[in-house]
Amino acid sequence: MDSVLRAVAMYLALMVLFKIAGRRSLAELTTFDFVLLMIIGEATQQALLGDDFSITNSLLVIVSLIAIDVGFSLLKQRSGWVSRLIDGEPTIIVENGKLLHRRLRHARLVEADVMEAARSSQGIETIDQIKFAIIERNGKISVIPQES
Amino acid sequence: MKTDRDHPDLQSRDYPVREDMAYQAKVWRFERCGWYVLVLLVVLGLLGLFSRGVISSREVSSNDGYLRAEYEMFHRNGSTNAMKISLIGKPDATLELDIGGELLEGFSVESLQPQPLRSRNSAQGMRLWLQADGQGQATLYLTLRGDGLGLFRSRIESPGSAGVELVQFIFP
Repeated sequence: MDSVLRAVAMYLALMVLFKIAGRRSLAELTTFDFVLLMIIGEATQQALLGDDFSITNSLLVIVSLIAIDVGFSLLKQRSGWVSRLIDGEPTIIVENGKLLHRRLRHARLVEADVMEAARSSQGIETIDQIKFAIIERNGKISVIPQES
Repeated sequence: MKTDRDHPDLQSRDYPVREDMAYQAKVWRFERCGWYVLVLLVVLGLLGLFSRGVISSREVSSNDGYLRAEYEMFHRNGSTNAMKISLIGKPDATLELDIGGELLEGFSVESLQPQPLRSRNSAQGMRLWLQADGQGQATLYLTLRGDGLGLFRSRIESPGSAGVELVQFIFP
């Protein structure tokens, strides 16, 4: 019983924590983010398995996690409200070459982040060449260039 | 006066994606409040709310001063913490110590040092016989591993002396 409860508790706790961290937190993995992710994984592992290293226990934990995950994706499919709650919504941050500063500030982004995404995805040099930049639900910035 | 929400930057757009900025503002507010909660948890963690720190480490003495216990008020399930019980009695005497209440239900005693002369079950829990030194002092070091969950009230006493009450909480 406790294996399932552990899995549910850790799943929900991590979900709330990553909601707090915001969608950008692990979207663009820097070297440090990668290390951080591994440390989080290590810290989670003990709590998930406890002192029981049997195959049954690890399978039970994995089964519980996948069941919750699939359950949530089914819920998201049925209800727009749940989908919005879990995945969030895309947000426009550049409109016709102009940065929407208030939004950037709330999203904890700076112009350099937007330009980095623009350069790497579209080969854009200046902000005027961007028609729209949007923070997607997965935290990545997608860039639509101005039509020349 | 214009509020933040009326700023043109924060109006909802319909193209190229349909936005609901009122909702997005709530998400951002949640992130901000969540960050305060995280900082609060870190500070409380440093202070010892989750074991080992100023809030958690306790020292209690009986009214007559013969019995003293140092222990952690907050434990975590599966982790071990030390407890120190000091007794004062007659020089070179054998001192009796009763550990009772819920302590033995919530914790497993991983080690007892020094080994008591004798031990047995008692109505409340367990009774230990300790050898006092030339000054009449005896000290017992215990290592406790939290096995239970929740609040545990226990009592440590020595016959002929006032006892001490311990309140301990085990986090999941």
